[in-house]
Amino acid sequence: MNDEIKKKINERYERELNRGERFWPDSIFKDLIVSLGIFAILVLLATFVGVAPEPKADPADTSYLPRPEWYFLFLFKFLALYGQIPVIGKIEWLATVLIPGLGIGLLTLLPLLDKSPYRHYSRRIFALTFMGTVILDIVLLTVMASLPVPPDAAELAASTTLQAIGGLWIPAAILTILVLFYAFKRDIYRESTRRSLPIFITVAGSLAMVAMTIYISARAASYPKPEEVEVATTLVDQIVAGQDLYSVHCVECHGDDGSVDVIEGVEGLEGEEITPINSTDVLYTITDSAMYEVIAYGRPNAGMVPFGKAYGGELSRSEIDNIILFMRYTWDDRFEAPEIPALFPPLADGEVPSYEVHIAPIVKRYCISCHRAGKENNDYLMTTYEEILTTGENKDKNIVAGDPNSYLLQVIQGTPIMDPEKPDEEMIGVMPPKGHLKPDALDALIRWIMNGMPETAEDAAKLFVAPTPVQ
Amino acid sequence: MWKKIFDWLDERLGLNDIYKNLLDRPEPRGNWWNTLGSASLFLFVLQGLTGIFLTVYYTPSPDHAYDSIQYIMEGVAFGWLIRGIHHWGASLMVIVVFIHMLRVFVTASYKYPRELTWLIGVGLLLATIGMGFTGYLLPWNQRAYWATTVGTQIAGSVPFIGEFILKALRGGPDLSALTLQRFFSGHIWMIPAILAALIGVHLFLIIKHGESHFPTRED
Ligand code: HEM
Repeated sequence: MNDEIKKKINERYERELNRGERFWPDSIFKDLIVSLGIFAILVLLATFVGVAPEPKADPADTSYLPRPEWYFLFLFKFLALYGQIPVIGKIEWLATVLIPGLGIGLLTLLPLLDKSPYRHYSRRIFALTFMGTVILDIVLLTVMASLPVPPDAAELAASTTLQAIGGLWIPAAILTILVLFYAFKRDIYRESTRRSLPIFITVAGSLAMVAMTIYISARAASYPKPEEVEVATTLVDQIVAGQDLYSVHCVECHGDDGSVDVIEGVEGLEGEEITPINSTDVLYTITDSAMYEVIAYGRPNAGMVPFGKAYGGELSRSEIDNIILFMRYTWDDRFEAPEIPALFPPLADGEVPSYEVHIAPIVKRYCISCHRAGKENNDYLMTTYEEILTTGENKDKNIVAGDPNSYLLQVIQGTPIMDPEKPDEEMIGVMPPKGHLKPDALDALIRWIMNGMPETAEDAAKLFVAPTPVQ
Repeated sequence: MWKKIFDWLDERLGLNDIYKNLLDRPEPRGNWWNTLGSASLFLFVLQGLTGIFLTVYYTPSPDHAYDSIQYIMEGVAFGWLIRGIHHWGASLMVIVVFIHMLRVFVTASYKYPRELTWLIGVGLLLATIGMGFTGYLLPWNQRAYWATTVGTQIAGSVPFIGEFILKALRGGPDLSALTLQRFFSGHIWMIPAILAALIGVHLFLIIKHGESHFPTRED
């Protein structure tokens, strides 16, 4: 750039300043409004959206699908699509290093590369169409990366191909054409009637990219949504979550209240002597981190299996932490438990309980520890509504709507079911095998079955019978 | 009375000169797009302030990081607000800085005499993204842990020196207490220091050259 052009630019700027405004107060005023608006948005987001809770980091849980911060998603998607390309797709660093490096390099050197003194849009068609295509692709790749995962291999292949076309090949084609024009037919970008060709190509290509993304999103709308994992964040929620997990995994051996000192009725561990885990001996001498290790690694010599994912068990870090919180706040007299809400809302006279509000928490707390896959339970599983009604060797008799002799109702009220062929042998023992249900839970289960086992609160509400007032 | 105090201070601090040179400058006719730079600056300051509050309770160790954040959210008065603002502010800052860059690109404000302003700006963009990357690990939750595992892996795919970069970022072959300590240090000391210094130069250059005007057919 020669001095003459520089002088012209500076003179032009002087003229603009003379017909301009003052920094204070004109510009600052606008700045303040925008900053205040941003602050208000942030306060609203913090208050009404908050920060989504996440479970604690668990290095053993390799099944976790990594997701970067959203503004890296486009790079993530780009890498995934790039990896599908034959041959060069295998050379990872081309995509992870070379292309981002090239992008940042171009961005850095921009003022040195773009030496033309012109600033008006009509004289910067190449720069604007090029950048526009890149930005649009970044946005679209981000959209694609946030779609749910296709449910099967065929759909995955189809979706990946479509994404590669919309997010990789079309933009690559536009950029190549733009660069080729620039290299060999630069005139086309000059201000003239023909300058519309690059714009036309960019707009047409962009529309194709957007249409492709909309189509891919529409297909993805029918995919199953990923399950939302609930994360307990308040102390009360954590203790309750811990109690549910304790009920599922620990009750069999340690009992409802942790007081078992001789294990009964557990295959392979019958008669094993253990220290009651609700005793001060255990609670005062074992720190939280030692307790964590005992639960995660188990006590193989004493027959306790590992529960931590790191050692082949089912429990994540947060889950074990919650069990420990439950133990501390329930049995350790140095901890003062907060008010724990009832397992389910109390039932009014004539109210019919529903699976989702009342029965599911009861079953989770008292039954699932045995009634799930892999346990001895006559194949009666109880982890979902369907399972409760349709599984088990006695599925026709376990739960019969309106029948007080349903097996389930008998055994929870202390009457075992005898084997019809050998009348003095129990076919189903009383449930739960140790301890019994609290009267309110018993009442809820009876009302539920007598009224036809409604699943949702809505269905249950329709069955509500207002009690006839006693004269 | 006020006048006297002002005159006394003015004599010693040169308040009037500061006013003339910094505030009472002429500018080209303004545009709302030109507020994005100062909005970036505002977000930087806001992130700094909320971040400083967070360090009062945050503990950068794998055993305590998660619980300390839990405590900030549940136990500390207005902790949820401070963390919420810092959390959303981080995303918003990336967006605002990026759009600020786009507006500078679209109006071709990187051209003579503002080339250096742009160069420093690219440094600012990278540092801002670096803040996001290092900050993301600090809550030490599943999302953080695995995103950083993959992120550092990608950084480790650089030919020849990848292995070195990976170890330098992680402080060993795997993510560990060292990684967290490193990211924490980077997030609260190193990158903010770089950002602050670069912003200083950026602002100096902007005041020196003045805000560019919006291009017209003449340009
Ligand atoms: C933390 C990040 C950043 C801060 C705090 C910041 C701050 C500012 C401020 C306050 C202005 C003047 C007002 C305005 O034009 O909006 C400005 C202008 C400018 N910024 Fe930034 N900026 C940042 C990032 C960037 C980036 C990423 C770039 C480009 C890569 C950039 C390039 C420029 C240029 C060239 C100008 C002069 C524009 C003109 O005179 O019209 N800045 N910046």
